[in-house]
Amino acid sequence: MLSTLLTAASLLLVPTLAVFADEAWNVDYHFALLGAPKEETSFFHQPNPSSRASLIYTLSEQHALGAVNPRDGSLVWRQLLSSDGIAYRNSFLRAGEGQDVVISGVGHEVAAWSAADGRLVWSLSTEGPLEDVEILELSDGKETAGAKDAIALSSGANPTVQRIDGASGAVKWQFIIDGSDAPYQLSASSTQIFAILIHKTILGYVKLRVVVLDRVTGHKVDEYSLSSENELSTTENIVSVGANSASPMIAWTDSLYTTLKVNVVGMKSMQSFDIASHDDSPIEHVKVHAPYHVNSLSHFLVHYQTATSHWADVFHINLKNGKVEKAYSLPKLAGRGAFSTSTSDANVYFTRVTRDEITTVSSASHGVLGRWPLNTFGVVAGIGEQVEPIHAASEVSVKGDTVSAIRTTILLSTGDWVMLRDGKGIWNRPEMLASTMVVTFALPADAAALVQQLEVEAHSNPVAAYAHRVQRHLADLQRLPSIIVSLPQQIVKGFLGTSADDLTASDTFGFRQVIVCATREGRLVALDAGSPDKIVWNVNVADLQPGQSWEPYLASRIAGVVEVSSRAGAGIQYNATNGQPLAERLPVVPEGPQVPSSQVVLYTVHDGTLEASYNRTPAWAFTPMHGERLIDMVPRPVNDPVASIGKVLGDRRVLYKYLDSNIALLVTAQDSMGTANIYVLSTVSGAIIYSNVHTGVDLTIPIASIMSENWFAYSFTNEASDEASKGHQLVVGELFESLVPDDRGMMGATTNFSGMQTATEPFVLTQTYQIPEVISKLAVTRTRQGITSRQLLAVLPDSNGIVGIPYGAVDPRRPVNRDPTKDEQAEGLVRYTAVLEFDPKWFLNHQREIVGVKNVFTSPALIESTSLVFAYGLDIFGTRLSPSFSFDILGKDFNKLQMLATVAALAVATFIVAPLVMRKQVDQRWRFL
Amino acid sequence: MLLLTPLVFATLTSIASAARLTVSIPSSPPLLPNPASLAPSTHAILLGPPGTRYSAPLRRDNTFAFPDLEEASYLLTIQSRDYFFPPLRVDVTKAADGTQEQTIAAWQTFRGNEWSNKGPQYGSGKGTLNIQVSPSSQKDFYQHRGGFDIMSFVKSPMILMGLVSVVFIFGMPYIMDNMDPEMKEEMAEMQKKGPLSGSNGAASQIQNFDMAGWLAGKGSGAESGGTVKKR
Repeated sequence: MLSTLLTAASLLLVPTLAVFADEAWNVDYHFALLGAPKEETSFFHQPNPSSRASLIYTLSEQHALGAVNPRDGSLVWRQLLSSDGIAYRNSFLRAGEGQDVVISGVGHEVAAWSAADGRLVWSLSTEGPLEDVEILELSDGKETAGAKDAIALSSGANPTVQRIDGASGAVKWQFIIDGSDAPYQLSASSTQIFAILIHKTILGYVKLRVVVLDRVTGHKVDEYSLSSENELSTTENIVSVGANSASPMIAWTDSLYTTLKVNVVGMKSMQSFDIASHDDSPIEHVKVHAPYHVNSLSHFLVHYQTATSHWADVFHINLKNGKVEKAYSLPKLAGRGAFSTSTSDANVYFTRVTRDEITTVSSASHGVLGRWPLNTFGVVAGIGEQVEPIHAASEVSVKGDTVSAIRTTILLSTGDWVMLRDGKGIWNRPEMLASTMVVTFALPADAAALVQQLEVEAHSNPVAAYAHRVQRHLADLQRLPSIIVSLPQQIVKGFLGTSADDLTASDTFGFRQVIVCATREGRLVALDAGSPDKIVWNVNVADLQPGQSWEPYLASRIAGVVEVSSRAGAGIQYNATNGQPLAERLPVVPEGPQVPSSQVVLYTVHDGTLEASYNRTPAWAFTPMHGERLIDMVPRPVNDPVASIGKVLGDRRVLYKYLDSNIALLVTAQDSMGTANIYVLSTVSGAIIYSNVHTGVDLTIPIASIMSENWFAYSFTNEASDEASKGHQLVVGELFESLVPDDRGMMGATTNFSGMQTATEPFVLTQTYQIPEVISKLAVTRTRQGITSRQLLAVLPDSNGIVGIPYGAVDPRRPVNRDPTKDEQAEGLVRYTAVLEFDPKWFLNHQREIVGVKNVFTSPALIESTSLVFAYGLDIFGTRLSPSFSFDILGKDFNKLQMLATVAALAVATFIVAPLVMRKQVDQRWRFL
Repeated sequence: MLLLTPLVFATLTSIASAARLTVSIPSSPPLLPNPASLAPSTHAILLGPPGTRYSAPLRRDNTFAFPDLEEASYLLTIQSRDYFFPPLRVDVTKAADGTQEQTIAAWQTFRGNEWSNKGPQYGSGKGTLNIQVSPSSQKDFYQHRGGFDIMSFVKSPMILMGLVSVVFIFGMPYIMDNMDPEMKEEMAEMQKKGPLSGSNGAASQIQNFDMAGWLAGKGSGAESGGTVKKR
């Protein structure tokens, strides 16, 4: 009750800065992403067995499980299965035929999710990490009606096979596999379950051991090894293990890809097939595509890929005698190919996607059932870059002997996930942005060109400047015809629309900045903040080998140019508008630990000691106390303009801010004691100018920190104690030269100041607020001149949002235990309350759910009132913020029609009244004189 | 999906008969008549001592399940896109009578208050506890602008002043015409005496101000009045 009262009070007093209903969904933009979908875990499935409408389910590389509407590419639901960013080696997603659940397996967790709305049905944690999850398709009468059971294979100390009840998630039986062999995969038939294990021989080769279990009891029935001789050296050469009776085979190749060996599960014999080489270049990988549905024909396709071409062979399995025979081949085609398997009743169809066409064949014969030419995938790629399909999933509808309609989702080499219907692009999800590592804002090259020209004029002699200007205007005249043509349209638009809509024509406000994102795959992707729906350009800048990573650093020091550099490597520059490289390719340098650096001071972490150096000469080192580890360091931003050096009080006196561009906030943790230490350092001398300690801190939960202007903020989670309540706290501290108004303290008389010579310590006011949830990252709005008040941006991972806290709401000068005086009220200070509830109106994302945000980047627009905000991580979210309201631009609230109507009404009134007044004046003269 | 920190996971598997908490969201009209309408991202977080944190997603039957809880004092928060839920305190303690089963109890708690300041109890049980938590309010994300309202427009002082002057301009002659002659005379007298009216009144002086004469250095007052009379 008390808390609600306090909330109500704080809401009444704090001036609300909110998302306006008419700006939400228009000003902000959001890509709800999943990350690059994995081939084995992406498929079409009907969430409701009674209807034919299907959704696309995927479990991505980032372990985001989601359902996508195939019609428009929108996300139906999504669950993040690894919130702390742990990358698990294996992840599984299975959907039983005619089931309304999908079953995921990530890490130690098997979970069933309602396919229609993404709610959890059951979950089960296994002792060891999961190696495989399958669904028992063929019923044996032991299941709960309507739900198919799942089986899970986990490794660890006790490799286990478990049969899980499909309705409740309870374990029906479990079998612990003896021996030290590594569990690999599972396969099931109508009566038996096969656990395939990897046995390492003394010579370093790999043998496959198969343990056969009874489906109903879980007892071991049989066990045998496949004599794979000495050809199988690593598990990477195992091409496929079929999951069920539709594809009951294990296939592997030798390391040079010359023969393909196939064993029908349950049989001890195997058959080998020579892999014909079609090409000079060696085969890079071999992939098996087999149907998942139990009722379908046991036909499978083997896809061979070389660097320049690909082809495929289709095999049939005779289930009666366990014979595998090659049925037909699909011809070699240039480039990469992607194959997908679809079923319709018992028939199996293979769809092949290449650079320039989609073809569908039946598994029974090689006759092409449907062919759709592809002109383009409709995605943006680098100049001269060939867009290749990586993998695909298809849904076909067959009428007679032809495929009447086909829907195919394809992951492309550019990172886009596209949907094609009958060869025509329907939608495109920019999933590569889900792995954004760093971003920067850049002015478009055309806007930058004008700025440069103006600078030229400013810096030359008057005559030359005049000549230059005339030339520029003559050049501008060439655009006159197009402007005249568009003029009527603009006028109409100007009258009917509101001023803030009109972003496409020109960018006087600086809203149309180019946002360049560097992704983990070594690509640069650019968005336009003014029209963020489409990707502007997308180029591959770092040729990363599989498993290689890079640490990009992006900057835009010259307007219109983006510079990307990998760690310590020399940067290369790109045109911000079209992504054309201005130099050659980027060298990727091996990575190492990195700490954010300002341009003046370079920080390195060495043995837990923070070392700072200017121009490569060591300056100072900060060694935390014994047992402390460095968590984070936030220097004051390099470009952090401050309009006023003081705070004007209600009575017109001034409190001077402690403004030092060389200060940084440092957070360290002592795990044994559970304490977090906060230091404010002078980065010139290394002196500690403020420190604080918090006890009982949960150090497994992120501690977010930020430093800007003359204040800092950090948040942490603490345990209940005598002086503190359990929960999450936000601390805001502000640094002043002195706490006496109109007095600059020690620095009063000096005009110059050096942190090296005089040791002035600021007076620090801090205030702690109890907040309702964890903050994982803090950021602050930035405007061009720093006149606009600031807003603290906090990423809330638990409510999937970003909240913009007005600085006034957390001002440490809020009076404690008393009501504000008249002067304080004039400043906008309200009485301190310990609880700071996040008003829903502060949520920048309003009803959108922004998942997995790692960082928030802010950039000033050209007009003072506005700051551009861009959040990235898994999702991409951007908006424009006006922390002091839009005082220099007519916003949506400005109603042009109303203004025009008022003017018209006044004009009419003037015309009507003027003769009356005239007559009255004349009358008056006659009357009184 | 239960996200467990690895440290917790190790301890969890060893305790087989740990406490189980189930939180269900009942239908609570008018705020939330149908809990099935909650977004699938709705989840509950149980924050224990440092290092212990569980997160449980919403189940199909509108519940959150925490299967294995150690003995500790927990803060339970429910996060939903559209609704606020009150924070709860959940205590898992050793049973007083020394039996195997743990006692588990839940109370409302208040942010910014001492941890010992407990609100009404939601329930307590041995080994397992099922509690019901209803949303406290709906989130309203949007600020609505004050749109154009004819009443507020009319009420604004500018418009009011304008309206009054319009009434005077049109109304006064009408009133004057309808007054009886005595009143009219009285009024005329009043106006003559008044400082603003009459040929020597301030208003007429300003109206008939002889700028040229004044600039030429002539005195004001009677002389300027004289020039007016001559005209």
